[in-house]
Parts: sequence; structure tokens; C-alpha cells
Amino acid sequence: MTSFQRWAFCLTVPAALLTLCLYVLPILQVLALSFTEPTFGLGNYVALFQNAAIGRVVRTTVFVSAVTTVLTIVMSYAVAFALVHMPPATRRVALFMVMVPFWISVLVRAFAWITILRRNGVLNSALVGSGAVSQPLELVYNQFGVVVGMVHYMMPFAIMLLYANLSEIDLRIIQAARSLGARPVTIFFRVWLPLSMPGLAIAGLFIVIFSLGFLVTPAILGAGRVLMVAEYISVQISSTLRWGVATALSTMLLLVVGILIALAMRSPALRAAFEGGRK
Amino acid sequence: MTPRSRRLLERELPKLVAWLLLAFLFVPVLVVIPVALTDRDYLSLPNNGISFDHFAALANWRAGWMPSILTSLGIAMASAVIATAVSAAFAIGAWVYVGRWPSILRVILLSPLIVPPIIYAVGMVRLWSKLGLLDTWLGVTIVHVILAMPLAVLAIGASLSNLDPRLVQAARSLGARPATIFGRVILPNIIPGTVAGAILAFIVSWDEITVTLFITSRGIVTLPRKIWTSIADAVDPALAAIATVMLAATIVGLILRMTVWDHIAQRRSRHDFQ
Repeated sequence: MTSFQRWAFCLTVPAALLTLCLYVLPILQVLALSFTEPTFGLGNYVALFQNAAIGRVVRTTVFVSAVTTVLTIVMSYAVAFALVHMPPATRRVALFMVMVPFWISVLVRAFAWITILRRNGVLNSALVGSGAVSQPLELVYNQFGVVVGMVHYMMPFAIMLLYANLSEIDLRIIQAARSLGARPVTIFFRVWLPLSMPGLAIAGLFIVIFSLGFLVTPAILGAGRVLMVAEYISVQISSTLRWGVATALSTMLLLVVGILIALAMRSPALRAAFEGGRK
Repeated sequence: MTPRSRRLLERELPKLVAWLLLAFLFVPVLVVIPVALTDRDYLSLPNNGISFDHFAALANWRAGWMPSILTSLGIAMASAVIATAVSAAFAIGAWVYVGRWPSILRVILLSPLIVPPIIYAVGMVRLWSKLGLLDTWLGVTIVHVILAMPLAVLAIGASLSNLDPRLVQAARSLGARPATIFGRVILPNIIPGTVAGAILAFIVSWDEITVTLFITSRGIVTLPRKIWTSIADAVDPALAAIATVMLAATIVGLILRMTVWDHIAQRRSRHDFQ
């Protein structure tokens, strides 16, 4: 190793120490605790599969995440597809409308949905006032409210991933299809959609991963009535102090996320983005 | 259906749907503005005229909004400085020292982007309670540094990947010492990426809630934490006022970024043209 390379190596050391000691180690300890707290063994995992309450929490999480993912993907694709076809000036306005919710705090967004969806909220006032419904609708503190909030949170992220993917598609392919006489609907289903499959898969996986471990939006818009995994873990840690259950559930979550990432990493584009290096 | 109406349907309907979806994204966040201007003391739309009382409440020290804003500012600035320094060092080191070690470390460094923060939160409660760092400035700042590093590394790394390695070779062949090369050849060339990294790191810390929620209680109340507790009470329109301030800051920041970005791009293209 030359002195120059020794210098370069030393530059990576602070980051390595910080991440290994204060990120990797605490997470490894979570894994370890799931086997040792309160007694050594697989007791926590047995409890995980026998406990009806946890089963319900897991089913809620999977259901809400699945609905969120499907809705987000379909709606985001529609927006990304329109973005690609917009003239530059219009696209700037549209991108602005995507970026504002993207950058604003997740708490502000959850709060905004509360003011809109709650019993005497903006939407119910408008609906009752206009006579469209006679009684205020139950729009929040249930699965509907949680899904609305989560889809709204995930969409900007998915739109940007899909827009990046769609804008790389060679428009000459589309022109070729058109000049061969294909109708717009045919072009969409036989050309656009197959070519955007990699982007759709990556966006979908990321949304699933985010949804499964999401705390803030489900906790606020579910208000304890729609209990998902992250909130359940949080209750175990801060109220009931059942560390064994919390760490075992965390480990399972990490395992599921790990499997999903392993699947996602099979995409060459994502692998390149993550591993980086010189161009 | 006539061909003309079908063409209209195929062309215009998707556009309409897209704009409705964009409105779904954009319009709901705007609702905090009228609620902040309400003349009542609970969450509602203005009834008899508007009132700025709830904005005034933000400035009232004892209401707790100002202290939490200052707490968040302090922690976010400290986290941004530390995270940027460590990430820049790492990115430069990994760019020069090509090999297995930096690429493994990079994957670990970026993992907080994907690993659910709730898992990290559980780990940090345990570690900080052992080390006595729960509910301390140092404890929160360290956690925010870790969470801010991935975006800083990505931003600085993107800047480095546009840097020509021959610059470094030239400096070396002219006999420059390593410290000189890092400080006077590489660093000045990645300033834009480093600034972007610092801004991103600041925003990550400023917005962070999940882990902070677990490692703080009454001593350190960041702005997100204060908002979180206020939402649980769900009555105070001051919440809408702070949300409006944050919305305004976001919009100003975005417009600035979009115009400055265009300005730079324009100057660069003019430069290329000459």
C-alpha cells in the first residue's frame, strides 16, 4: 500500500467506526436480545406465533401494506406516465406539486389528513353541508384513513422512481410502434408497460418495505385502532416493557426486509446505485 | 364511438386523471393554512373572519414552540456538520482506495435508508440507557449523524463520480503530498456535492421523529417531537400555524432550488456554447 492509499484508507475509518459501533452493533444486539430476553431460547418466537394479538397485528400490517402498495403503484404510474408526456413548462408545475409533499414533514402531512378526514373535519363539513350525506362519515382512525395517509406519503417517492425509469425509455421505440399502425392502447400495454416493469418492481418493493415498518402515519391516522407492527413494537418498548416480544418482532421484520432487499438487489441498476464506485 | 371521440378519450382522459392525482398530492397539505387562520381556539376553518393569534402563540416562549425550534436547529446544525465531514472523508477515501473494504462499508453505511427506523430505535434505547445517553443532546445528535450519513454519502459520491481521476494523477506526478491532494485538488472540486450533502443531512435531522421519539422524553424536545405530542392532544390550532410555517419554508426552499438550479444550468450551457 502506498502512502497515498494509506491516507485514503484512514479517511474511511471514522465513518466505519461510527456505523459499526453505533448502527450495526445496536441492531445486532436487538437480534441477540430476541433469543435471551427474558430467558435463553426460542421462547419469544414461539410466543410470536401463538399470540392471537400479534397475529392480528401482523395481518393488519400485511393487508394495509398490500393495499397501500397496489394503490400507490397504480396511481404513481399514471402520474409518471403523464409527466413523461408533458411539455417542459407544464412538467415543472407538475413536478413542483410532487416535490412539495415529498419534502414536507411526515408529521405535517399526517396532521393535514386529520384536519380533513376527522368527524367535523373539512371533508365531512363539506359533505354534510352540501347535503350529500346526512351523517358525517367515519374517514379516519380506521384502515381507510391509514391507507389514505400512507398512499399520500409513498406516492411522491414512487412517482420519482417511476419517472426516472420511464424517461429512460427510448421514444423511437414508441414512434416505431406508431408508424407500424399500433393504436395508443396497444402501444401502452405492449410497449410502455413491459419496458417499465423493472421500475415498477423496484418501486413496489421499496413501498412494501417502507410500509411494513412504518410508524408515524399509521400511528397518527390509526390512533391505536389500526395497530401495525412498528406501533406494536413501540408499545412493547415504552409501555409494557416486553423486550423479548419487541426484539423478536423486530428481528422478524428485519428478516422480511432483508429477503425483499435480496430480491431487489438482483436488479443490476439498483446494485450499481448501492455499491457505487467509479464510473 | 367515433374515431374522434375515441382519440379524445385516449388522449385527454389520462391527462385529467394525472392532474386529479397531482391535486390529491398537493391540495391536502394546503389545508393547514386556513386552519391556522381560524378565529376559534380549536381545529376548524375560520368562522367570523381570520385571526393571526395562533401564529403569535408560536412566539410565546412558554408555549414551548420556540424552545423546540431552537433545539431542532441546534441538533440539526451539529448533525449536519459532523455527518458531512465524516461522509466527505469516507466518500473521498473510497473513491481513491478502490477495493472490497470501501464497497462493503458503503452498503452498511447506506442501509439506514432501507432498514426500518423502528428496529434501530429499539437498539438505540437499549444502548443509550446503558451508557446514560437517553434524553441528552449528545445521544440525539449521534443518532441523527448516523441517519444523515447515507444521503450525505450519496450526494458527495455523485459529485466525486464526475471528477476526473487524471487530476489526481497529475498532482501526484508533480510531487504533491497526499494531504495537499486531498485538501487542494479533490475537496475544492466536490464543493457543490458537499454543500448538497450538508443540506440533506440538516433536513434529515430536522425532520427525524421515529428514533428521537424513543431516545428522548422531557429533556430534549425537538420540533417533530413537540408536533407528535400535540397531534395526540389534537386540539391546538397553533399546530396548524407551525405546519403552515414549515409548509411556507418548504415551498420557498423548493422554488429557490428550482430557479437557482436553472440559473446554473443556463450559465453552464452558455459556457459550453462559447
